[in-house]
Amino acid sequence: MLVIRRRAGESVFIGDEVEIEILEMTGSQVKLGIRAPKHITVLRKEIRSIRQANLAASQPISTTSLENMLEQLRR
Amino acid sequence: MPQVATDRFGTVEYSQESVIEFPQGLPGFESEHQFLLMEQPQTQPIVFLQSLMRRELSFLALPVTAIDPDYGLQLSTDDLAVIGLTAEQTIPLQLALLAIICVDEGMPPTANLLGPVAINRDNRRAIQAIRDDSRYSATHPLFSPVDQTETVCS
Repeated sequence: MLVIRRRAGESVFIGDEVEIEILEMTGSQVKLGIRAPKHITVLRKEIRSIRQANLAASQPISTTSLENMLEQLRR
Repeated sequence: MPQVATDRFGTVEYSQESVIEFPQGLPGFESEHQFLLMEQPQTQPIVFLQSLMRRELSFLALPVTAIDPDYGLQLSTDDLAVIGLTAEQTIPLQLALLAIICVDEGMPPTANLLGPVAINRDNRRAIQAIRDDSRYSATHPLFSPVDQTETVCS
């Protein structure tokens, strides 16, 4: 992993189009500003994993799987 | 009464007051704002969040305490505001906390305890919140391995 030290007001570029600026640091939190073209999706990591979990959970489930699960839950 | 066609439940009649509103949608389903909470005796304790817009979309869910009796959640001020609450006025009984269940055929089912669905019972507004700690994951095994290999006492 590339590690860079930055102060508030400074920024880094990723490629030519994505800029990440350190806006503010308070206690244990850092406020970032991200400038990126529309086609680049910017997501907090937790949201990304929740999004993936939701997409997986939206798939239809077979009656057999549902019944197996219910049986295990009711044990 | 309005009716909606669903893949899982056929045609469902519902009252407008029973509709659960997700003002922000859910991650991955940002334009799904309205769901019905379907509770049926034959699938207890599992409940379903059935989309009103997409007939094929219904999430399986369980109350978080059915998965972990000690599960607790402190919603952020922003999240509370989405469902019309403030930190001072919130009492735990007002909130229903559900975990969405993922069943991938052939894999052990998992529960999303990192992003529980919080429903304000009073106004039926809901949000899929995101915990700010890493105590639980989005793919928490629903059944602990211990349960599955339960040994018979001699």
